[in-house]
Amino acid sequence: MKKILLLLLAAIICIGGYSQFSKASLQASGLTCSMCSKAVKVALEKVSFVKEVKVNIKSQEYAITFKENADVDFDALKKAVEDAGFSVASFKVTGNFSEVNIQTDKHLQLDGKNFHFINSGDKVLNGEQTFTIVDKDFLSAKDYKKYSAATKMECIKTGKAGSCCAKDGMHANERIYHVII
Amino acid sequence: MKNLRIFILSFVFALSVSAVKAQGPIPNITDYRLDFTVAGMKGDSIKLSSLKGKVFLLDFWASWCGPCRYSNKQLVKFYGKYKDKGFEILSVSLDDEKSDWKKAATKDKITWLQGIDQGGWDALAAIKWQVDAIPASFLINKNGDVVAINLEKGELEKKIKELLELK
Repeated sequence: MKKILLLLLAAIICIGGYSQFSKASLQASGLTCSMCSKAVKVALEKVSFVKEVKVNIKSQEYAITFKENADVDFDALKKAVEDAGFSVASFKVTGNFSEVNIQTDKHLQLDGKNFHFINSGDKVLNGEQTFTIVDKDFLSAKDYKKYSAATKMECIKTGKAGSCCAKDGMHANERIYHVII
Repeated sequence: MKNLRIFILSFVFALSVSAVKAQGPIPNITDYRLDFTVAGMKGDSIKLSSLKGKVFLLDFWASWCGPCRYSNKQLVKFYGKYKDKGFEILSVSLDDEKSDWKKAATKDKITWLQGIDQGGWDALAAIKWQVDAIPASFLINKNGDVVAINLEKGELEKKIKELLELK
């Protein structure tokens, strides 16, 4: 009986794929030296699902570890940086995946969030993977321009599902994160 | 108008006190909650409270902090001008790597007292002095009292002269 349950569980995981985000790496920028102020670190630490924030001076990055099994919200991290008076210059998220099929310009739900892969090609994700979020205000304006030109789909401008996305089983106005691998 | 000025002054005063949350009206370097020891350049160590009796500037910085490096340039000028009149500076680097600190200190021509408290914002000295942005500087009088925080160039020079009783 136990074996059957395990097999069943394995089957479910295989069919549905498995994904969970564990950490993020963020660069902040602003009019003043963002690393010279504790404000960004403190703001990120206050976000409910954040376990730890480490400042890496050399790479000018904030390494953010998420609480286990927490419901992470990348927009909340962006907002924390902005509320501290800075903006996000780069945002990478890392998670663990098992048998997740991705395709360019195809919407996919991972760890409860919708993703749109801009340049991935057809791939199966396994193990630890890192995505870079290329939605507006998650990177420099110059880089955003570059990536938003890479897809014809409208959602890259709004970060929200349009009426065209209904075929992917998504409601209009649902948040979609646009990412590159 | 006068009320407004009093209001602003009391606000500024409250801010400066809360920046160094020691009990009592004036924070003093001999208070164990503010005192610290940092590693010097040549394996020596510097204890903050040992500077009591001197007019000095306690300055927090790091090699990776652009504005701090600019501020060092200003401090080189001040130090050259006032060191013979009794003015001292203690620069505390919050660098993680000693080599980064030494390289930057040499490049910026720091010849005054200096030490390193590794660990960035989590360094003990930074926590004790509630440093949440750098550069951060505290002007200390001969009694060891903190008399001013983060003064800009002109104000700093005026205050140094006043504390050294120079005309």
